Amino acid sequence: MDKVFKGEHLLPGHLGQFFVVLSFGAALLSAISYYFATTNTNKLDNSWLKMGRLGFYLNTISLLGVGVCLFYLIYNHYFEYHYAWSYTSRSLPVYYIVSGFWNGQEGGFLLWTFWQAVLGNILIWKAKSWEKPVMTVIAFSQVWLATMLLGYYVFGARIGSSPFLLLRNAIPAPIFSNPDYLSFIKDGQGMNPLLQNYWMVIHPPTLFLGLASIVVPFAYAIAGLWQKRYKEWITPAIPYALFGGMILGTGVIMGSLWAYESLNFGGFWAWDPVENASIFPWLLIVGGLHVMIVFKNTGHSFFTATFLVLMSFIMVLYSSFLARSGVLGETSVHSFVDNGMFWHLLSYVLVFLALSISLLVLRRKELPFTKKDEETYSREFWMFVGSIFLALSCFHLILVTSIPVWNRMFNSKVAPPNDLVGHYNVIQASFAMVITILTGFSQFLKYKKTDVTRFFIVTGVYFLVAVLITVPVVYFTGLYKLQFVFLLVMVGSIYSILANGKIFVDAMKGKFKLAGSAVAHIGFALMLVGALIAAGTRSVVSVNDTGSVAVSGFDKAAGDARENIMIYKNEPVKMGPYTVTYVGDSTSEPNHYYKVDYKRYDAAGKIAEEFMLKPHAQLNGGTSLTSSPDTRHYLFHDLYTHVTALPMPKVTATGDAQTDAAHGDAENDDKNYDPPVAHEIAVGDTIRYREGYIVLKAMKKESSIQNIPLTDSDIAIGAQLQIVSNNQTYTAEPIYLIKGKGVYYFDRKAEDAGLKLRLSKIIPDRNKVEITVYQQPENKKPWIVMRALDFPYINFLWTGTLMMILGFLISIFRRNKEVKTA
Amino acid sequence: MKKSSIFGLVIIAVAIAVIISIYSSSSSYGSFSDAKKTESQLSVVGFLDKHRELYYDAAKDANYFTFYVKDKKGGECKVIFRGTEPQDFEKSEQIVLTGQMVGEEFHASHILMKCPSKYTQDKVNVTEAQAKSASL
Repeated sequence: MDKVFKGEHLLPGHLGQFFVVLSFGAALLSAISYYFATTNTNKLDNSWLKMGRLGFYLNTISLLGVGVCLFYLIYNHYFEYHYAWSYTSRSLPVYYIVSGFWNGQEGGFLLWTFWQAVLGNILIWKAKSWEKPVMTVIAFSQVWLATMLLGYYVFGARIGSSPFLLLRNAIPAPIFSNPDYLSFIKDGQGMNPLLQNYWMVIHPPTLFLGLASIVVPFAYAIAGLWQKRYKEWITPAIPYALFGGMILGTGVIMGSLWAYESLNFGGFWAWDPVENASIFPWLLIVGGLHVMIVFKNTGHSFFTATFLVLMSFIMVLYSSFLARSGVLGETSVHSFVDNGMFWHLLSYVLVFLALSISLLVLRRKELPFTKKDEETYSREFWMFVGSIFLALSCFHLILVTSIPVWNRMFNSKVAPPNDLVGHYNVIQASFAMVITILTGFSQFLKYKKTDVTRFFIVTGVYFLVAVLITVPVVYFTGLYKLQFVFLLVMVGSIYSILANGKIFVDAMKGKFKLAGSAVAHIGFALMLVGALIAAGTRSVVSVNDTGSVAVSGFDKAAGDARENIMIYKNEPVKMGPYTVTYVGDSTSEPNHYYKVDYKRYDAAGKIAEEFMLKPHAQLNGGTSLTSSPDTRHYLFHDLYTHVTALPMPKVTATGDAQTDAAHGDAENDDKNYDPPVAHEIAVGDTIRYREGYIVLKAMKKESSIQNIPLTDSDIAIGAQLQIVSNNQTYTAEPIYLIKGKGVYYFDRKAEDAGLKLRLSKIIPDRNKVEITVYQQPENKKPWIVMRALDFPYINFLWTGTLMMILGFLISIFRRNKEVKTA
Repeated sequence: MKKSSIFGLVIIAVAIAVIISIYSSSSSYGSFSDAKKTESQLSVVGFLDKHRELYYDAAKDANYFTFYVKDKKGGECKVIFRGTEPQDFEKSEQIVLTGQMVGEEFHASHILMKCPSKYTQDKVNVTEAQAKSASL
């Protein structure tokens, strides 16, 4: 008999698991029914269709049920569930409870399948004659996603992973033999503090909506091949492909904005395998979109359009496989480990790949291939070329990103290129150059046939202007220091902006609905301009030219990087155009904020600008550092600052400032200071020391010292001192006490000035006192090591993104109208 | 010849060029003794020797961090990294270093770490550090 455990809330989990199974069953029912509804020859028989719809509605409802149950567990902190325990804790604010929902793999799948269900419902409502075959594919995909959440053992192999797994079943530990184990589990693991960020609330849903929406054009393509409605499937699929491209693009850029704003790798794109995987489907769907439009207008490029659309969904599945199967372990920063779903995930890819390929092969003789070539001077030909180049760019990314996959397949040991970022940059820039130039000059071409002389004149003039603009841009931004190919990308992007700008102006005069592509192209080109200048001419502001000791025998092998600068508290350091001062810290758990004051002086020596940046860090148990940047945004550049090293508690052993008495730790504490120096002074005199001076303002007889009772025979005298260091003023009052036969010193610290002061002797006959100054050696003073970077023109990147999204949106409206009128 | 076949050939040529460029720039995984034999950059997979000192003194040089790594064949080597101690470095279970030998020391330009994450035990967290240079 099962053991009874105290305090567990099993009902929501059972209910949730019931919904998981129901969603699987309903999806299966829907897929099968839709399949028979499609193949049914009796037009009047609607029973299969009704059953398919019913199944799909049931699937949607049960997914909502799963979501509600999961949310209930997380919200009520039922840590007997592994998911709630792993990703949330009691202290987590409510809005992060929402993001705790999709923190784990299971939550990711849930989000994905939820969006797919939403899209399915829209299709049931809108797709009309396409509903049956398209929904067969979507429901089939729902079946696969549902299996990912099952978490049952079949013949010893676990199928999927359920979010309702109990902690005691997930982790074997002796504590679970205690029926009262829950009273020992007070709190969950909590969310990784790096993820406690508002981007975590909006980025995953957007990205998953983008990924999920790629299934719609895929389903149309499969339906078109299956039902032999080759020419018809493209028109209704275009708006969905646009939607997918728009949302997926937004999701990806949101991720990079997140990285830029709150992660510390110092940039917005790192070519991490998981990042790359997220743009495979984007590149292919955008490529596919262009050839779909070509086919719609001219009848050319049918195969390319179908193939790219099919492959973009396969890439959605493949990227999910890469990120979740653990195969990227040695190359990626943020992949999951294999939790036993390697083959399950792979089978999802392979089944849909096999389906696509076999349909293409089966129908190969009937596909509407055009006999005649496209005209050389026609828009369709160059749009086709552009799509192929997008696909090639994707091909390159796939090849390099999949190196661990090749290693696994062929049992080889190839490592990615050493200068991986440089490798990606150069090759991807080459493709970007071709693509931007194509998006430029194809604007001057017409479908079918164009007047050649006129075309060459117009495109030549625009190209010349683009080159003329590029020269000063390259000169002033310093881009000329980079490899030549990046300059070509710059020319291409500017050319594309000009050419599409012309189209946009023309569109504004009349056919505004045609402006979508122009706006999107301008946005894309602006993105490239921003990315190119920001990443290419990013400069290190925190160059360390003072206080560093040259290390002999060190060469460029490890990169000539001296990007980190050390600054002591309250000691201004010159850094590029700025004078920076580390002025203090504050804490708001789990974050520690480091206040860094930036001043910029003009030629006359006046402060032209002053601001404070507060980069923060999490000190994980005092042993390691998780840091997040703070960025000062300007219109044309950003100043980015983050902390890279801190004195860890083990080295800063300075005692508690104000409460130190004369005994005990004082001996040890003295070791934290340089050998003391005694000064004999009178009231009004000044002591000079390394970083400033100290003035004895007055002497004062004290009546009490902290909690030590004083009697009439005791003498307590305080020296009121004013310390001036680095333009800051502090006060301190060390006390000298004669109690009974003993003499006691109550030292006082001016922590920020790195001083400890002792009133060590009173010399009444000369009306003087002796002040002993303990000064901290440099390395015992509070300090931070930080890195500051300047990203010029990065706002072009974000503006370009917004424009591209807007362009997609305009196009969706236009193409959607075409579906209605068709 | 048809234009599409010419274009097809161009595409194939580009694809082959891409493959060759990946192949020629890809490096290989090796050990420190392999690194001693070659002049070029190499990736070494190993483990941080936690018994030996990690040296970083911001006051002397804020961009100089050294530590000892044992590679998979048991060879140990001092590693120099031009930067600060990467996040979660001491918790790492495995390290992938990219760089080359200079004398008896390995100069790493890139460190990739695999750490058991404190927050999510199901996930293995991999973090990355790079001696960054300002060029694209």
